[in-house]
Amino acid sequence: MANISMKHIYKVYPNGTKAVNDFNMKVDDKEFIVFVGPSGCGKSTMLRMIAGLEEISAGELKIGETVVNNMDPKDRDIAMVFQNYALYPHMTIHGNIAFGLQMRRIPQKDERGRVHMRKLPKSEIDRRVREAAEILGITDYLKKKPKEMSGGQRQRVALGRAIVREPKVMLLDEPLSNLDAKLRTQMRAEIVKLHNKLNTTFVYVTHDQVEAMTMGTRIVVMKDGFIQQIDTPRNVYRYPANKFVAGFIGTPQMNFFEGTLMRDGNNVKINFTQAQTEINVPYAAMIKVMPQYLRGDKPVYVGFRAEDISLDPEVVKKSNVNVRIRVSHTEELGNETLIYGSINLADEENADVPANVIVKVAGFREYKVGETYDAALDIRAMHLFDKETEKSILPRVPEYNYVPVTIEKNTLEFLGQKLPIPPAVRCPSGKGEMLLPVSGVMAGEDVKANVIACEEVAGQYLVTLEVGGHNLFMLSDSPVAEGKTGVRIDWKKVILQPDNADPIPGMPLTNKLTGTFAMDKVTDAQGKKTIYSAVLNGKKFSVPEDVAKKMFGAFSGRKVFNTVFDYEWTPYDFKVGRDGIPARVVETLDFGAEKFAVCEVGNATLYVSAEEELSNRVELIPDMQKVSVIEKERDIRIV
Amino acid sequence: MKKKGGLLVRKAVDATLTYAILIVVCAIFLFPILWLVLASFSKTGSIYSFKGFFPAQYSFDSFRKLFTDTDMYNYPKWFANTLIVSLGSSVIGTALTILTAYCMSRFRFKSRKAIMKTTLVLGMFPSFMAMTAVYLLMTQFNMINNHFGLILIYSAGAPMGYLTQKGFFDTISYSIDEAARIDGASNAQVFARITMPLAAPMIVYTLLSSFVWPWSDFILPKLLLKNKELYTVAVGLMSLDNTEFSRFAAGAVFIAVPIVIFYFGLSKFLINGLSAGAVKQ
Repeated sequence: MANISMKHIYKVYPNGTKAVNDFNMKVDDKEFIVFVGPSGCGKSTMLRMIAGLEEISAGELKIGETVVNNMDPKDRDIAMVFQNYALYPHMTIHGNIAFGLQMRRIPQKDERGRVHMRKLPKSEIDRRVREAAEILGITDYLKKKPKEMSGGQRQRVALGRAIVREPKVMLLDEPLSNLDAKLRTQMRAEIVKLHNKLNTTFVYVTHDQVEAMTMGTRIVVMKDGFIQQIDTPRNVYRYPANKFVAGFIGTPQMNFFEGTLMRDGNNVKINFTQAQTEINVPYAAMIKVMPQYLRGDKPVYVGFRAEDISLDPEVVKKSNVNVRIRVSHTEELGNETLIYGSINLADEENADVPANVIVKVAGFREYKVGETYDAALDIRAMHLFDKETEKSILPRVPEYNYVPVTIEKNTLEFLGQKLPIPPAVRCPSGKGEMLLPVSGVMAGEDVKANVIACEEVAGQYLVTLEVGGHNLFMLSDSPVAEGKTGVRIDWKKVILQPDNADPIPGMPLTNKLTGTFAMDKVTDAQGKKTIYSAVLNGKKFSVPEDVAKKMFGAFSGRKVFNTVFDYEWTPYDFKVGRDGIPARVVETLDFGAEKFAVCEVGNATLYVSAEEELSNRVELIPDMQKVSVIEKERDIRIV
Repeated sequence: MKKKGGLLVRKAVDATLTYAILIVVCAIFLFPILWLVLASFSKTGSIYSFKGFFPAQYSFDSFRKLFTDTDMYNYPKWFANTLIVSLGSSVIGTALTILTAYCMSRFRFKSRKAIMKTTLVLGMFPSFMAMTAVYLLMTQFNMINNHFGLILIYSAGAPMGYLTQKGFFDTISYSIDEAARIDGASNAQVFARITMPLAAPMIVYTLLSSFVWPWSDFILPKLLLKNKELYTVAVGLMSLDNTEFSRFAAGAVFIAVPIVIFYFGLSKFLINGLSAGAVKQ
């Protein structure tokens, strides 16, 4: 019964392969988390790192409130079920389940009050073994040996061995993949029931997306060691973050068509590259899509799930977004029929993969192979992905607002309202576009706006505003009622793109300094002490103990002292004082609400929050509590 | 029909050929043994009195003399010496071999592969290659005329042949170890409670094979044991006079007894499939 916190976890093998890359996640108590992904995606490695069977290269793993990076598996209070059961073949089922309890030592006080580590009494072990066997329905087999049992029963024994110890966290590594299909479905339900009964945190690894969808309270989709998406099964299915997740979750696979988008007033024309087809979609369905995709020159993937395409003549008649499909073959599954075909009608033989389509229709419908049919596309269930990055361009929370602006001297015409430009933003007069990050719009007084929608997304609220006939998105921690409101702009995050000039970026929000790590032994009044410090431009800054521990954890031996690191801070993590890094103040940036000093330190430029005017030369003291440390060579974040 | 007939002929030829080869090999193997057994039952002792394959007169005299006439040649004492040396080196050698193999199979450490290869190559050299060195060393350690010296050499040499045992440990799925470790067992407990019981056939095999070597070895005891009282059977039999050939034969036959007893006693452990049902392959 505990939560698990994973921060910047890496698994790097000696040959440089990264099995797990910057894994960040918080698992709440009693959650059922499923790691899913194709083989080799790092999901099992991550689970084994939680179990303590695999060393963590860098990062911090907490179970409950304890950092367990260097703890033995037996001290982590976890239990694990293996794919191949891993039963002890020479012991009876009773012995198998009891083994963990026999190994355990419980602290007990004797008459004099001294604490001894004692074994559990035999009667207690027996009682608990029987209880676990009861839950799993294997009481009758307790005297048998594993080899006398079937696969399903063996997996039950493995489960029993795990639950009998009442662990804080249950880890399951593809426990059902060795069972046949029918047994798998049955055991799936039983594991879910078991989770409800035990009220323990479960982490479950599988490559089967059906298991992930049906069992998890949250799914972690992984690929090549990277997390692709973490969300509830429903959200992963409905709002896949990229093309990989969209294709991996759901059977049959989502249909992807290559195409381009072209905005034409209130409509967006979707032109399918592989088929000589165009469809028109109302712009309202695409307000979150970045404008550069709507100019007809950037290729995208348009995705529809098999059930969101309808061949039903009634639906087709009513729908105004239709394509023609040539049927190539069908699969009758009884309750439903899968129609395989292509939207490329011209080239019958060499149908391109990006033109292939699978449609799910009700059972036993006759569709002739080779014939063409009209199909209706459900626009509300459309997915759009960038062709190159494969990221969703229809995300739940867009990254930027795109606003056409006109700049005249020190004022900016922003959707019909005139705003003064703070001195730090330097942009020549003229027309252009403003890239305003969604996080850069905040409640305020500068701009008058109408709230037209507010939806909850992952614990936050995405507010859709209407300003001068234009949509603007903003994030809020609490729900916002519809109606009139005001917002202001965080100017330091604004990117301006004048029509005939290079873009003017916002202020960088991370400051990077390169340095090394050192250890000093000092003797003072209290005795000998060891101080660990970061060496930045020749100055030493002592680091807190937990940072030093993480630095040591990521290396073996003394290699940590011979490695170059990138140290990073936000602009708010510096103090001006004595014995700091000597810096030359180049200029002061005034963003109205905030002021920043631009400081030069050697070759590096630091942006430091400065409410008061700074003198020409200052010494900067970085806050070592808030530092991020990145090792350049292996490209891993250590702190 | 013709084809079927051809097949039958070919089968018959096949079988005849196979059995012919087997019989010839068998005869080559069995002939000296049979001859030795027959010689041990011969009444006349000297090797010069042997004429033909079968002895002229049969008797148990040589066996009786082996155990009663101990003034000159103390066979029971030699036998006991051999037993002590063999049992000692078998137990210690097996323990070392099993631990070495387990370590090589289960743990990953620096220069593991290099150590594995070196050990293997070293194990290939015959033990008597280092005879002079061993003799000098044993003199320095004052272990000439000492059974413990022999045991030391035999047990130290045993782990060189760890490869078979390592191969066996490699077949025991590592996830069983991991499961036990998660269940709270330390490395030593995993070894004692999980791996050892599963490796019983291998341990028995190792016990037997490391018993047989010192039991029948001649060179090392000959080198290290000077005192007639401390002789092992092999060295002792060699010291017999030429006229005592039937006693030699009887001693050589009787030496097989403990090995046979050992083998039959332990053979019930030499079964396969002990680890069946542990993991799904």
